[in-house]
Amino acid sequence: MSSLFKTALLLVALLWASPSDVMAQKATSKYRCMIQMTNYMGEGAYVVISLINPKGAYEKTLYVLGPDKEWYNTLKKWHQFQSKKPSNISAITGASVTGGDRAVNVLDIETSKINAGYKLRFESAVEDNKYHAADLEIPLTTAGLSAKSEGTGYIRYVRFSPN
Amino acid sequence: MTISIWRYSHLALAVSSFILLTLASITGIILAFKPIQEKLQPYRTESFENISLAEVIPQLRKQYPGVSNLSVDANQFVLIKGMDQDGENLLAYVNPTTGALLGEPEAPSEFFEWVTALHRSLFLHETGRFFIGLTSFLLLLITISGAALVVQRQRGWKRFFTSIVRENFAQYYHVVWGRLSLLPICIIALTGTYLSLARFQLIDTAYILPDVDYDSIQDEPALDPTLFEIFTKTPLADLQSIDFPFSDDVEDYYTLKLKDRELNVNQVTGEVLSEVRYPMSVILTELSLDLHTGKTNSLWAILLALASGNILFFIYSGFAITIKRRAGRVRNKHTPRESEYILLVGSENGSTFRFANAIQEQLIAQGKKVYVSELNNYQAFPRAKHIVVLTATYGLGNPPTNSLQFAAKLAQYPQAQSVSYSVVGFGSHAYPDFCKFAFEVDHLLSRQEWAVPLVEIQTVHDKSPDEFGHWAGVWAQHAAVSLTLPASLMTTRQDRPHTLVVTERTTLSETHDAFRVRLRPQHGLTYRSGDLLSVYPADDHRERQYSIGKVAGEVQLSVKLHPGGLGSEYLYALQPGDSITARIDENPHFHFPQKAQQVLMVSNGTGIAPFLGMIDECTSDTNIYLYCGFRDHASFSLYRASVEDYVEQGKLSGFQLARSREDNRYYVKDLLQRDESLVIETLEGGGVIMLCGSLDMQKDVVELLETICQHRLHKSVSYYQSHGQILMDCY
Repeated sequence: MSSLFKTALLLVALLWASPSDVMAQKATSKYRCMIQMTNYMGEGAYVVISLINPKGAYEKTLYVLGPDKEWYNTLKKWHQFQSKKPSNISAITGASVTGGDRAVNVLDIETSKINAGYKLRFESAVEDNKYHAADLEIPLTTAGLSAKSEGTGYIRYVRFSPN
Repeated sequence: MTISIWRYSHLALAVSSFILLTLASITGIILAFKPIQEKLQPYRTESFENISLAEVIPQLRKQYPGVSNLSVDANQFVLIKGMDQDGENLLAYVNPTTGALLGEPEAPSEFFEWVTALHRSLFLHETGRFFIGLTSFLLLLITISGAALVVQRQRGWKRFFTSIVRENFAQYYHVVWGRLSLLPICIIALTGTYLSLARFQLIDTAYILPDVDYDSIQDEPALDPTLFEIFTKTPLADLQSIDFPFSDDVEDYYTLKLKDRELNVNQVTGEVLSEVRYPMSVILTELSLDLHTGKTNSLWAILLALASGNILFFIYSGFAITIKRRAGRVRNKHTPRESEYILLVGSENGSTFRFANAIQEQLIAQGKKVYVSELNNYQAFPRAKHIVVLTATYGLGNPPTNSLQFAAKLAQYPQAQSVSYSVVGFGSHAYPDFCKFAFEVDHLLSRQEWAVPLVEIQTVHDKSPDEFGHWAGVWAQHAAVSLTLPASLMTTRQDRPHTLVVTERTTLSETHDAFRVRLRPQHGLTYRSGDLLSVYPADDHRERQYSIGKVAGEVQLSVKLHPGGLGSEYLYALQPGDSITARIDENPHFHFPQKAQQVLMVSNGTGIAPFLGMIDECTSDTNIYLYCGFRDHASFSLYRASVEDYVEQGKLSGFQLARSREDNRYYVKDLLQRDESLVIETLEGGGVIMLCGSLDMQKDVVELLETICQHRLHKSVSYYQSHGQILMDCY
């Protein structure tokens, strides 16, 4: 057998063994995402970034800004989704952001979801203060990811930069 | 009970906040260990203090192109955040000079997070935050009222840190540790209050960083970031955090948060695009946070833990003191109108009531009608036979708060029948005006027509059970009641440890009313003239006391023979060679003064006895003047030889004899009035006047002295009494 054939066979075997792993690695893009907050007064805001499918339903949690589970229920809609379909978010959890500050985080976005009718939703809440179910929603398109998008609640704007 | 407004506030505030305060203190102690534990981690770089941003920022950005933020925490650990080469989130401590990664921050400890939430908000969110903020404010008020109480107790700020009289464990350490931790606790309370006010936006901490004008952003001249003026001039130690430009686009800039201001810096030219100084409220918030948490300094954190621990102790000791005082509160069975025994108490904190209550209990058990109250409640007592005043002194010789109106009420309500009185003063020699108010009360009473002195005023130093017991014993004898007060309050002594042998007993003086006894203690006993000999004539609880004159190493007593008198007949029956068992009690408030240059001794009748001993004992060159009063020459005959002897030896600088039934019918008071200048000279020169004899004589002489003192020296007799310049031992 030629070495080329061997390699091909090995590759096939690997694909069979854990197709999703290999596929996932191949199909994601990393984006740096900057959230600039408005000058609101009060505690640090909890912000969650979710992937919304074309039907308008939650598909996946991309990032959670806010470390304390005690306050997750203030992000009502996302909390419902997270309670129904719990996923491990410890690797994509960071600090909350206070008024006037900015936060920069890395998001893993499946390439196949871009330009496919999906949206990114930024949901925000400040403890004992107003909750914004959709502080900001951005169509997950090439154009959406290169623009500066204005928020409607605690978020002033969001910017992305591909890695 | 009247208590001062400070004490009342201090207690009321403590009662209203102690539950939350306990909780906040316990959690506070735990949280003090958070910064201590954090600082043990090895992420601080030695060179931290000496480096500028120019040495750090450009290099780190080159090393970690994905870095988005750098922050310096309270431990001076430098943390960078961003994306690493593989596009993964990066969050790590770095060495700011080399850029070496030192380690990742640990996830915040769930335990500390939990305790912090409890400490800040009791898990009740805004409601909890409000109550904790309120508690903090109450603590501030408690601290202020506590400080005011210490100032009151110590008589002024200057004596704030002088020694404190120890009444009991709780009281002593409440004050001692209170003074020490006053400042840290005040800081905890003040910063806590401030943080709460800022949290509820009652203090405005808002500031707005002016927007950058994108139209005027220049992209030249381009400058190497290591040469940016703002970077070279700013030390890393001044930095709180820096946001790196999101991209290389000139419209993205650096945002620097320094300790005192925030600014945006052009990433190409290094120009400061906008800058805002923090308002004072923000700087104070940051300072409050540092002071409240101790996050910048481990030693301060330890101090905070100790102060919080002290708060717990104060809660405990404060309530212990209160409970003790409440136990001393008055419960009267009889009304003031029907009571025969009136016990009036002057006390600032109520502790003196314990003594009155003990007496009340005993008298009631004997079927007597007793009324106990504070001195301010003095009124007409139509059935009263005895008035006993037990009073402390407060501040600079002032009446306690519950006695302020006594003098006015005394003038307002003269009693219709004659009433015996006795005064007991509580105090401490640690203060300059020892029992001054008690002396004043004694004088006030002595001037009332209806008031009959029963026994000499007794001062009690530091609640001495011996001194109070002594008074109780003497008073009970004179009032013909029996008092066996509980051991917790005093020990009434009936023991007779001393054996004395009679060496001499004179016959009666020419007027057949007095005689002299000399006794030699069997064992080497140390005692001084002015001490008291207690004898038990009937071998039962009945005790009689005599002032001792120590003459030629022996106990010399002068006794007036009362027909049918228990003590005097017993002593008169003694023959030389007889031995008796008795007890010699120290009586330090009537000892010959050690330091005085001049001593004026005033006596009548047998009151001369201790003076004869003192003159005999005296070896210093103190000027001693003796003024004594007798009925006539005959009654003085008993002492004539000794006195003439002392004059001859030069031990006596002056001697004056007043005879009330002969000659000019002079009383000893009249002689003193004649020699007023000697009285003034003695008191002004720091000398001492000593009085021994009958209470009637004392009343007259004190009245005279009061006039002299007020008019010529502009002070009161009680002032000199409290300073140990006028000593009395009368009966």
